Amino acid sequence: MATKRKRFISALLSVFLLITILAGCSSSNSETKTDTTGTSEAPTTTDKDTTSTTGIDTSKKVELQFYMLGSAPKDLSVVEAEVNKLTEKDLNATVKFNFTTWTDWEQKYKLLLSSGQSVDLIYTAEWTQFQAYAKKGAFLPLDDILPKAAPKVQAYVPQDMWDAVKIDNKIYTVPATYQEYVTNGFVWREDLRQKYNLPKPVDLASFEEYLDGIKKNEPTMMPLSVNSDVRGNLLNLLRELRGWIGGPIPYGVNIQYDKPGEAYSYWGSDEQLQDLETIKRWQDKGFFSKNVLNVKDTLQDPVTSGKAAAILGDNPTRYNDTNNKMKSTHPDWDLGYTPYATVTGFATPVHPIHNGFAVPASSKNAERALAFYEKMVMDKTYNWLTEYGIEGKNFEVDSEGHYKMLGDSNSNGFQREGMQGWAWRNPEFMLFDKSYDGVDAIFKELDKVKKPDLYLGFAEDYTAYQAERAALEQVEKQYLFPLQAGIVADVKGGMETFMTKAKQAGLDKVQSEYIKQWNAYVAEKGIQ
Amino acid sequence: MKIKDEKYHRLFQCIAYTVVLLITAACLFPFLLIISASLTDNETILTQGYHLIPPAFSLEGYRMVFQFPDEVLRAYGVTGLTTVVGTLGGLFFITMAGYVLQRKSFKYRNQFAFFIYFTTLFGGGLVPWYIMYTKYLNLMDTYAVLIIPGLMSPFLIILMKNFIKSAVPEEIFESAQIDGANEFTIYARIVLQLSLPGLATIGLFLALHYWNDWFSSSMFINNPHMYQLQYYLYNVINTISFVTQMGASSGVSLGQDIPTESTKMAMAIIVTGPILLLYPFVQRYFVKGLTIGAVKG
Repeated sequence: MATKRKRFISALLSVFLLITILAGCSSSNSETKTDTTGTSEAPTTTDKDTTSTTGIDTSKKVELQFYMLGSAPKDLSVVEAEVNKLTEKDLNATVKFNFTTWTDWEQKYKLLLSSGQSVDLIYTAEWTQFQAYAKKGAFLPLDDILPKAAPKVQAYVPQDMWDAVKIDNKIYTVPATYQEYVTNGFVWREDLRQKYNLPKPVDLASFEEYLDGIKKNEPTMMPLSVNSDVRGNLLNLLRELRGWIGGPIPYGVNIQYDKPGEAYSYWGSDEQLQDLETIKRWQDKGFFSKNVLNVKDTLQDPVTSGKAAAILGDNPTRYNDTNNKMKSTHPDWDLGYTPYATVTGFATPVHPIHNGFAVPASSKNAERALAFYEKMVMDKTYNWLTEYGIEGKNFEVDSEGHYKMLGDSNSNGFQREGMQGWAWRNPEFMLFDKSYDGVDAIFKELDKVKKPDLYLGFAEDYTAYQAERAALEQVEKQYLFPLQAGIVADVKGGMETFMTKAKQAGLDKVQSEYIKQWNAYVAEKGIQ
Repeated sequence: MKIKDEKYHRLFQCIAYTVVLLITAACLFPFLLIISASLTDNETILTQGYHLIPPAFSLEGYRMVFQFPDEVLRAYGVTGLTTVVGTLGGLFFITMAGYVLQRKSFKYRNQFAFFIYFTTLFGGGLVPWYIMYTKYLNLMDTYAVLIIPGLMSPFLIILMKNFIKSAVPEEIFESAQIDGANEFTIYARIVLQLSLPGLATIGLFLALHYWNDWFSSSMFINNPHMYQLQYYLYNVINTISFVTQMGASSGVSLGQDIPTESTKMAMAIIVTGPILLLYPFVQRYFVKGLTIGAVKG
């Protein structure tokens, strides 16, 4: 028996050994491979180094791994080849553009940052949890590398933007400098409004009157376009109209823009009751479907096809896109737009965190990566190539300096910002479609009431209440979503049930911790 | 007595036919809806919903897909290749493993069987698995990574082992050995021949797995030219749900166009169509193979 076991163990051990040998072989193989290419390239490239303008060591040839979210454009390989021609000359590097697609992108994003895979540049935004990842040390601090590798970008991005993206007093991402507004506004069918002589929606009351009028005059139409994301498409918009600081603020906490130091619980408040009753009333009047939690359409599709007559809130750019898309099939229809700023009295342009590129901690070529990113932002050739594709093939610039796509959306392999190039937009080089003038006009209006975004710089640390947070999320889904869809008959009773369940799940602890962290942030930044 | 029997028989038949008919209709209905939707004008779908008979007939959806068919065709190629190579390779390895594990002359068969079985209970989880393939095996963006993870599964190995055990009597091994056959000859000329129904079952499992696989593409493939068919389709749907998810305040606007409802349906037909047509013909052989096995016991 003993010998049998011994033999078995030795057999097992030999198997393990074999596996480790195999694994060891494959990894060492690849290392030696890169080494040899490095040394063989080195002599031929040393003369180029002297011409290089950057103050970094480019003697060894590297391949940069660039990661962006979303799908790759069809012509990516062509553009990549063009870019590589330039980078090989300028930086002695090639770049590989990788795309995560939208399938499981959150999971893939996490894996890319945690697996230690070589990733040199990756997109960051508040909705990719930039603040949380930065706090956990997923990105390299750039303070020391920037002056050396990307001095032009460092000078070009204003200091207050660098300050705004700092997490724990370190810079982890290169913010985009293009200022746009993604604040919401009412969207409605202007042609129908005129036809039935309805009031122009400028606040919630007039918006409701407009919806009433549509319901009465166009019985087959759905007055309001809403989909299954009722929180985002109804409730958060009502809260935005109340002048919250920006959001979405989690856990039912509310912070008003004019009183940032006084955070309180929105859940359970009279404000929430009012908002939920508004939604209930709209549901009862038949402004949107009873089946709303199962609607998977985009908000815009029902409007462009004439099924719905309004959207409670959309940003200026998307409003403009919707309007153009609708007019391409129905030239006699028209959309109107009133930004929420007319109600709240202020508008916040996007926070610098909203679009950026970071160097993950696992990157071996941080300097070269930043130098390349500088080229993408500051060099017009690089910028146009990666934003709009190849001039003459994918796009052309008309006599007025407007962007013009060549071919149609099916035949063109690289549409405007086809690489989701939101982060490396440079306002000086940006090309706009002619139809963009409408957005520009709205932005000019909003510029008059511009106030800085105070909220996004805040990085929440939820390690202390992780369990309660998960439980709360569950309760919210089960008890609050139906209320937010207006399908619970007794709003007040439903709210009370939700509050008891939420309190059981640990709402108080989560809220008080969150508010404590927020207050500390407010005190640190001197916001009042 | 005889008449009564017939009456019952009749009744039973009536009920059985209705039930089967209803189930068939329930299975067929969604598919007919997809076909009809793929032939409907997109705006009609948005305003009036789905109908069994298209209210406004249009071939726009198919036109959009076939304007540039290379992407779909390439995805077909990738899935075809991984399915064929993966199924054949998987069958080879699984039968080998099953054969060895049931040989009485293999001393450590139980330990090895346990070792294999152990992995079904305790796995490393997603992250180590991912790190293994990307960092140590360096298989990112290769066809190998689409095939290797699915080659063998503990369940199929155990199934195969038990199948061989029941299909091939122990005495055959002995007599074959006496006749001078070595282990590989026994495996190839006797065991494989006798376990054809088992091969059919496991081959079907493997082929379905490879055909429906999208997860490996999602994790390990960055090159759009190497996407598997299902992943290609899945991406389209995910892009749409992403756009619906991201609220206006995220400011996300996608450069590329999102396919319309009818295009989506047309794509679904093009992707599932061929295998659906193929299935009834192939299935006959599977059923045959399985029943042969059953009768033999």
